[in-house]
Amino acid sequence: MKRRTFLKRLIAGAAMLGTAALLYGVTPLLAPRRATAKRNYLRPPGALADDAAFTAACIGCGLCGEVCPPRCIKFHTRDGSATVNTPYIDAAEKACILCDKCMEVCPTNALTVMPRGDINMGLAEIDQTACYPWVDRGICGACVSICPLGKKAIGYKMWNQYRPEVRAGCVGCGLCVEVCPHPSVPIWVVSRPNDIKV
Amino acid sequence: MAAPTINEGAAVHHKPFFLWRHLNKLRWLTLIIVFAMLVLLPFLHIYQTYTAAHAYDLLSPGEKQLYDVMESIAAPFVSDPAEDLDAVKGNTWSGSFWGFKISDPLAALGQVAASLSLYWPFLLTALVPILATIIFGRFFCGWICPATFIYELNSNFASWLRWAGIRVGNRRFDKRIKYGVLALGLILSAVSGSVLAGVVYPPAIIGREIYYTIAQGGLGAGTIFFLGTLLFDILVARRGFCRYLCPGGALYALLGRYRLVRIRRIAETCNDCAKCNVVCEFDLDPLRDGFGQECNNCTACIAICPTDALTFTIRPSDYPEQGPGHLGQLYRKQQATEDTDAAS
Repeated sequence: MKRRTFLKRLIAGAAMLGTAALLYGVTPLLAPRRATAKRNYLRPPGALADDAAFTAACIGCGLCGEVCPPRCIKFHTRDGSATVNTPYIDAAEKACILCDKCMEVCPTNALTVMPRGDINMGLAEIDQTACYPWVDRGICGACVSICPLGKKAIGYKMWNQYRPEVRAGCVGCGLCVEVCPHPSVPIWVVSRPNDIKV
Repeated sequence: MAAPTINEGAAVHHKPFFLWRHLNKLRWLTLIIVFAMLVLLPFLHIYQTYTAAHAYDLLSPGEKQLYDVMESIAAPFVSDPAEDLDAVKGNTWSGSFWGFKISDPLAALGQVAASLSLYWPFLLTALVPILATIIFGRFFCGWICPATFIYELNSNFASWLRWAGIRVGNRRFDKRIKYGVLALGLILSAVSGSVLAGVVYPPAIIGREIYYTIAQGGLGAGTIFFLGTLLFDILVARRGFCRYLCPGGALYALLGRYRLVRIRRIAETCNDCAKCNVVCEFDLDPLRDGFGQECNNCTACIAICPTDALTFTIRPSDYPEQGPGHLGQLYRKQQATEDTDAAS
């Protein structure tokens, strides 16, 4: 091959690759990465534990959101860079009811069907300096009554029948966060520490 | 010089089945149905959530109206909307029909690249589209893709602009760029660990953006990207994104390279009018039997052919170039010179 033709082809190839790269360069700009709140920011139930693995498995089809009865599953529509179009749940706004529909409809292994007890969306945490019964400002119990998992997930503290405490069985659905009447919402869901097993 | 008897026996030559020229209308119908379903499904989902919550009395007047309309649409088909309407969900990127899941082959390939692992239950959902593509070629692009519906309307809009005297772009690029987009998309997916090919793939964008707009309270970033591609098609190249850049189109073209069902020209009845070349959205060359792997069997050329000289055939490769059409001037001149040569 002559040097001239080789160079020509090289330039043409580079131009083609450059055009292709431009396409992939534009999209992260349209959906810039933003700092997301650590609290109450949940993946749907059954999500792969490792968030990088979840992002890799999720194809962004939106099916989980489309079957969600309380419409709690939202999507990173305009943010997230590489995680754009992946689902999340903002428990303070609308919490998961653990109906399992999203796990069943997910075509990939991003959400895998699992028994309710194995779901790990996080663990609820109570701010004992703000929660009404904990600061002796009245009787509430909203979080305890709404919990779909019952005693093994959240209950009242021994010796004080009104103060709620989270237990190891909590799967982090966030219904307690949604229902909490306190204006500062002193209960939230954080990612489960490794030493607390279900 | 004896005038050559034109097309003697041409009537015996393959007269295309009369319905083929109406397939283009059927194609538009399927495009409209797919698009309408993409709009309808999010509304049905909202209706489902209302019924699941038994909250009719709490709805605002606008929401009540939505409820009533959706109820009138769904009532004949379902008894328990909250559960039964789950039967059909999703979009062309990935959908679920009565529990049977179908995904775009690009979704499967992109996910394999991103996760660097094979999850068979998901890969099998792409099997039906892959088999259909091996038989019918790039048919998805012409018959199903919800972006095609908009892109073709956009092409028509561009022709109106041209008719009104506004300059629109009709540049030509190398069609192989899209294979670069596909390859680069898979590489970047593997590097970044997210299915990036789906972010620049118009049908996936359209499906999810319609859903975002209706049920998620606003447009996503994909809309801006898609509007960009529409502008590109008008200002730079007609159907430019599909022709030169679409990663999914590239994958479908590769899968459909040896497709069995393809369009062929009948040289005996062709009059070289070149309407097929003008109408072809993918800038192919039906007039000279140049279909290739890019053809999406959209049948626009069959529909416009004034002499019914295009038809379907079952062959794993295109016909070799058959020369000028027998009803065209060029062929008659050739015949005449051959006749005079033979006479002398």
